[in-house]
Amino acid sequence: MSLNIADRRRINGPQRSVEPVYTTKAADPFATGRLDERALDQVRPIFIKTGPLDAQSLSAAAPSGSAYYEQGKIRVSCAIYGPRQGRKSNARMGSFDCDFKYAPFSCSWKRSHIKTSDEKEIALMLENSVAPAIRLEAYPKASIDAFVTVIESDGKAATIAAAINCISAALADAGIELYDSVAACSMALHGEQWVSDCSQAEENASTCSLLVARMPSADEITYLLQHGKTTPEQTQQAIQTCANDCTRVYAVICRYLQATLE
Amino acid sequence: MVETGQAAAAVAMQTFERIHPVEFQRRFLGQNTRHTGREFNQFRALKVIKGAISTAQGSATVRLGNTTVVCGIKAEVCEPDVKRPTAGYLTTNVELSPMCSARFRAGAPSDEAQVASEHIYRLSMHLLDLTSLCIESGKAAWSLSADIVCLKHDGNVVDAAVIALVAAIEDLRLPRAEFDSATGVVSADKEALGHVDVKKRLFPATFVLVDDLCVVADADDAEEQMATASLLVVMDGEGKLVNLWKRGAGVISREAVEQCVERARERMSEIAKVLD
Repeated sequence: MSLNIADRRRINGPQRSVEPVYTTKAADPFATGRLDERALDQVRPIFIKTGPLDAQSLSAAAPSGSAYYEQGKIRVSCAIYGPRQGRKSNARMGSFDCDFKYAPFSCSWKRSHIKTSDEKEIALMLENSVAPAIRLEAYPKASIDAFVTVIESDGKAATIAAAINCISAALADAGIELYDSVAACSMALHGEQWVSDCSQAEENASTCSLLVARMPSADEITYLLQHGKTTPEQTQQAIQTCANDCTRVYAVICRYLQATLE
Repeated sequence: MVETGQAAAAVAMQTFERIHPVEFQRRFLGQNTRHTGREFNQFRALKVIKGAISTAQGSATVRLGNTTVVCGIKAEVCEPDVKRPTAGYLTTNVELSPMCSARFRAGAPSDEAQVASEHIYRLSMHLLDLTSLCIESGKAAWSLSADIVCLKHDGNVVDAAVIALVAAIEDLRLPRAEFDSATGVVSADKEALGHVDVKKRLFPATFVLVDDLCVVADADDAEEQMATASLLVVMDGEGKLVNLWKRGAGVISREAVEQCVERARERMSEIAKVLD
């Protein structure tokens, strides 16, 4: 449902528009195995493309590093600018800022052009997940800015994990000094079973979701978010499994980054 | 020794480009070439991918050299305007965020984005007959929001945006909708999808007067920074002129305009080949 405010800097449609009521019933995502025939602990296939399409003619305003990331149906694009002049001229450490935005057509309902509070919250989550991996003390007085746009979303926690992975790939492409790449993965609880990397339909059918961002080489978790109802034992077990999934995702990211060097 | 010499020359050239971008471009233009080696009337390689985004009812990704734009169309239902009870809505917006280029700042749309949105909105009026979006006269109609998000900006976003919009409209599939007059609810059947009738296809071609010297087709970002005037020519599928838009203080002669229109006509078949 679009906002009732006329945005005077954009072309506005009708004041009020809603989604029609769809008569076709959505299939039960866990009825007979998963809809895309994955195993319960299987992460969706990942594709990463870093850098510009044609490196020969690069404009001066182009980002230092960029990455396009696909995980199943999730599509995320990230651009990194920096290290460039920061806001504080006396800062001993560099600053890392994230900007996150869903494209208006990326979710099943139409999103607003104006940044909403959940997008601002996710931007902060991305900052907190990735900043520990960056050697900010190597960039005093500078700022590193990441801009993330979600082109297609499929599962809220999974999309945030995809955004973290995308930023990691883009940072490596930009040549920013890192302690390690951050890899993230998500899980959701369906009944008593934790399922890895859930799509939107699977997430809607689950009671709890978990997001873990990890630096595998340093064996450190940089971000952990659990949303929903579980027991402490279930959560403990899930964090272990999710951390292992993160390592698998990390291996995929590294393989794509290595391929760009060849 | 030869390798280090070549490497040193490459670094020197890159430094020159960064420090004196205008002089750098002038060196090439003075020799009657472009800095990427393209011909003056040569457009960059065009790639169009339709229907990749499943959350949008219609979508297209267009790559024109390094410039990448994604157009996604979301369809919602609304009450039609009282003055036009059988017409739906099609709104187009171009998003130029800091992600695509360092020249844009976060926040409200820049002047460039607003101008592009407005012009493309006016062009989009040729694409569809809005009465084909009617569900129930006076009660319900489709409202299509076409959002063109620029992912990478390397010049000539308007061409890429128009092509993306046309491709997304051709890809658009709307579910069959029914209006229940008792409840006022519109129900739609996702299994029964239909295309919309495209009234007229649009084929854009942008030419830029660089540094008051020469007119080049499909300028990249470096050439656009030195532009003193630009000319957008939009053709329809039959070679008729739909739109001619000249911006900027520089002077483009009448002969040059005619040449641009001729080139735009050739460009129309180039684009049509990619779209089909």
